[in-house]
Amino acid sequence: MSLVITATLTHSTGAQTFNRTFSVAPETSELEVVNQVGTIKVTPAAAAGKIVIIARQLDGDTKIDATQNAQGKVKVEVTGRGTVDFEITVPPSSNLDLLCYKGAITVTNLGGSVRARITDGNIQFTGLRSPRVEAHSTKGNVSFSGEVLPSGSYTLKSFSGRVDATLPANADFKLSAASYRGGMDLGGFQMKFEKQTDQLVEASHGAGRASVYLWTQEGSIHLHRKP
Amino acid sequence: MECRAIINSLSDYLDGADSRMPDNEAHSIETHLANCPTCRNLKLELSEIKTAARELPLHTPPRAMWTRIANAIEAEGATENAPARPARNSSGWWESLKSRRFTFSLPQLAGLGAVTVALIVAGISGMFGTNPPTLNLTGAQTALLPEEGEIKADLERRLAAINARKAKWDPQTRAEFEQHLAKIEESLKRLRQALESNPQDAVHQQMVRALYNEKRQLLEDIERLKW
Repeated sequence: MSLVITATLTHSTGAQTFNRTFSVAPETSELEVVNQVGTIKVTPAAAAGKIVIIARQLDGDTKIDATQNAQGKVKVEVTGRGTVDFEITVPPSSNLDLLCYKGAITVTNLGGSVRARITDGNIQFTGLRSPRVEAHSTKGNVSFSGEVLPSGSYTLKSFSGRVDATLPANADFKLSAASYRGGMDLGGFQMKFEKQTDQLVEASHGAGRASVYLWTQEGSIHLHRKP
Repeated sequence: MECRAIINSLSDYLDGADSRMPDNEAHSIETHLANCPTCRNLKLELSEIKTAARELPLHTPPRAMWTRIANAIEAEGATENAPARPARNSSGWWESLKSRRFTFSLPQLAGLGAVTVALIVAGISGMFGTNPPTLNLTGAQTALLPEEGEIKADLERRLAAINARKAKWDPQTRAEFEQHLAKIEESLKRLRQALESNPQDAVHQQMVRALYNEKRQLLEDIERLKW
């Protein structure tokens, strides 16, 4: 049985604001957000065991539904046409699944699995300590900085944008990177190469336990060492 | 049913309600298609050809064109046959050709139809000094990856579902979506050409796969956004 919560709307300076708070299990919380146009920002919550959603409906005719299912997973979905900007706080180990057609997605200082997909816009992950990361933009840049956990999986993709990954200098990972047209800069990591062409690199760094996959068709790839 | 029987009935099957095919025969074809990748690919190729033919602009050839064709045939026939044949009556062999009755089998008619379309396209482009329209017949290409037929069938299914709803989208959204799709298609075409010249090239194989994934992801997003 799922709990359906209707949007609470207030009017301020021409925009409508949506506020909702859900109680969740801090270690196993899950959040899915489907936005049409606008931004999704997710940061750690100050209060344990709460997912707090604040959304500003800036223009157009949009409807926001927020639901929590019996397992505690929270789903927020925007329907209709218009811009909605989300600011969401979650327990630090929450698993996230974020989708936006046009706008931007930023996730900061979290430690759960994160999956983000945007068609037209940038994705920025900063300070993550996640075991599984997937970021994919069709037309926009993708950047990641954070820890590389043993056996973790990190996939950063963009069709026409730039892909940046900033990894600890001592990270153990196996790299697969492909850029058809934009070139690659591997940032001074001393790697053991298994395959290396102008367009494709397969290599490992250290013990190579985690998997890092970077792909762009038209853009460039930049790997950076974090001291 | 055997593949041979499927091939003979596929055109009628694709005509759907227009073909008046009995339900049990249509069901047999569907059962066969579910288990036979070769026939499935053939069906996909045939449906793409039908779709492409439907999208050709309709042009009515000027009446003078038929007169010129008749005159050309008449003149050629007269030149070739003059020394070997007795003089014909005044109506000429174009007239006797017109008065003759022909019967064609369905496959012959289909072939004749295809030749006619090609002749009209070539004739019109010749008349106006332009290149013939480029048809996107990706399904009719030879598979370069073992799984390519399956991938295309999946993408075709998703795209057909989206196209059925696309008329309801606002023009800007439709234009943006088509632009994203066109860019991916263009890159895919370029990479497939590179792969065709060296089918064993593992780098290009990987990149073609990545682009198919990109296209699938875009279509999946639209499905998830419930447009």
